[in-house]
Amino acid sequence: MLLKLEDVTSFYGKTPILQNISVGVEDGKCLAVLGRNGVGKTTLMRTIMGLTTRMTGSMSIAGEDVTHKQTHERSSAGVGYIPQGRGILPKFSVRENILLGTFARSDRKRSIPDMCLELFPYLAENLDKRAGTLSGGQQQQLSIARALATDPKILLLDEPTEGIQPNIVQEIEATIERLNKEVGLTLILTEQHIKVARELSHGFVIMDNGRIAESGETKELTDEIVDKYLTL
Amino acid sequence: MSVHDFWTPFALEPFISALIIGLSLASIWLVAALGLTIIYGTMGVINMAHGEFIMLGAYITWVLQYFLGFPWLLCLPISFVIVAFIGWLVERGLIRHLYDRPLDTLLATWGVSLVFIQSIRLIFGGEPQYIDTPEFLSNVVQIGFLNIPSMRIFIFGMALVLVGLTWALLYKSNFGIQVRSVMQNPQMAASFVINSSRVYGLTFAYGAGLAGISGSMFSGLKTIFPDMGLGYVVEAFLVVVTGGGELFGSLATAGIMGEMFSVFSYFTNDTFARFVLFVLIVIFLRFRPQGIFTPSMARR
Repeated sequence: MLLKLEDVTSFYGKTPILQNISVGVEDGKCLAVLGRNGVGKTTLMRTIMGLTTRMTGSMSIAGEDVTHKQTHERSSAGVGYIPQGRGILPKFSVRENILLGTFARSDRKRSIPDMCLELFPYLAENLDKRAGTLSGGQQQQLSIARALATDPKILLLDEPTEGIQPNIVQEIEATIERLNKEVGLTLILTEQHIKVARELSHGFVIMDNGRIAESGETKELTDEIVDKYLTL
Repeated sequence: MSVHDFWTPFALEPFISALIIGLSLASIWLVAALGLTIIYGTMGVINMAHGEFIMLGAYITWVLQYFLGFPWLLCLPISFVIVAFIGWLVERGLIRHLYDRPLDTLLATWGVSLVFIQSIRLIFGGEPQYIDTPEFLSNVVQIGFLNIPSMRIFIFGMALVLVGLTWALLYKSNFGIQVRSVMQNPQMAASFVINSSRVYGLTFAYGAGLAGISGSMFSGLKTIFPDMGLGYVVEAFLVVVTGGGELFGSLATAGIMGEMFSVFSYFTNDTFARFVLFVLIVIFLRFRPQGIFTPSMARR
């Protein structure tokens, strides 16, 4: 297991938001985290990044125990984070946003990796533009490019297609698929669209009310389960 | 008092002199405000001890010169380093526990300022002290009809150098990217391996160090005494707030304020000029509370 959470309970303040979560993802696979709004998908991502108040249980990245590590130590262990709402820094240029990612690199290289420019030609042509002026889809690309600049082992993608115009959604999906299949990155992906999740993922977990309700291989994700937990 | 006692009529040469004095004044205010621009403008911490960091810089210069015989110019970088270290201790020991309590920060740093003032008074006494400056900084340069003390030219030059260095540090260095990202979004910054707590500590230390070096310079201009910080910190705060907490905002504001003050006091007198300037700033901030330039850093 490249990333493993065992019996994790995660808190905001004194309130447990996620309870008894055990989940793992194998090297090179894509895990889809599914569920309706407000069941704890984003909190699971934030827990992995160490952005909740505290957590109990245990968590490891590539065999290294990171349960008691702070956010900046976890990101240097090889987790690239693409948060919900994209989390780009609007006052920074495109270039500065991507360079921000390079602070997590173990080799301390401070240049924009070629892969980012090759995957996202629009960004390559607009490196000096203010990130706040980009469109939603472009900001999403920037967020992915920034996470890639950290030279990650795992990418956490929190609703990467949310709020993006449909023609760009396909493009971003294709990029995500390429990162997993060609580049060999391990992905954890939260998704509202079941179709997208089925196409991209190898395994799934379904969350309900802060717990894991179902999990398994993606081919076991039957319409019955979808109806029970995901249909509004 | 007749109107003619109050109002000085226009004359070209004294007026140009006044403009030069305005530039000099602006550079002094800018130097005093620079550290505060970093600490208040980028960190959002209202540091009431800023004037006392200036005072410490001046006293460090005095001690180095009086007891150890250091030349004045060498004292400038040393007091930068020592006051930066003191600032770092204050941030680590006190301020970092108060980041989500801005009003308590205000009170705590005021307490720190009192401790500094009284400690200096206990150790060195309350009487003013004098500092020897190198000869080339003690004379007056004559350009045409203008007589300009060379110390003021030196401070003007240093102000530009310090602004340049600070700009390069904030906008051209890796540390600057870290600082500016922590100020915009601490959680995202942490998600990219930036240790925000370390960045806060170093940023505060840098701001304090700037106050220290400005105190060092002011020691060459005026006598030093334990309460001297108060004489600089009011204008420094006005410069920072009116400038929106931005580096170039402070630069522009210090320039405008210095010139306005100098021109007003040419036509009237210092006290009245100060009154007019402060009223204008209050009116300006009433209509544009975000300052001359819109601040780019999020307030906590």
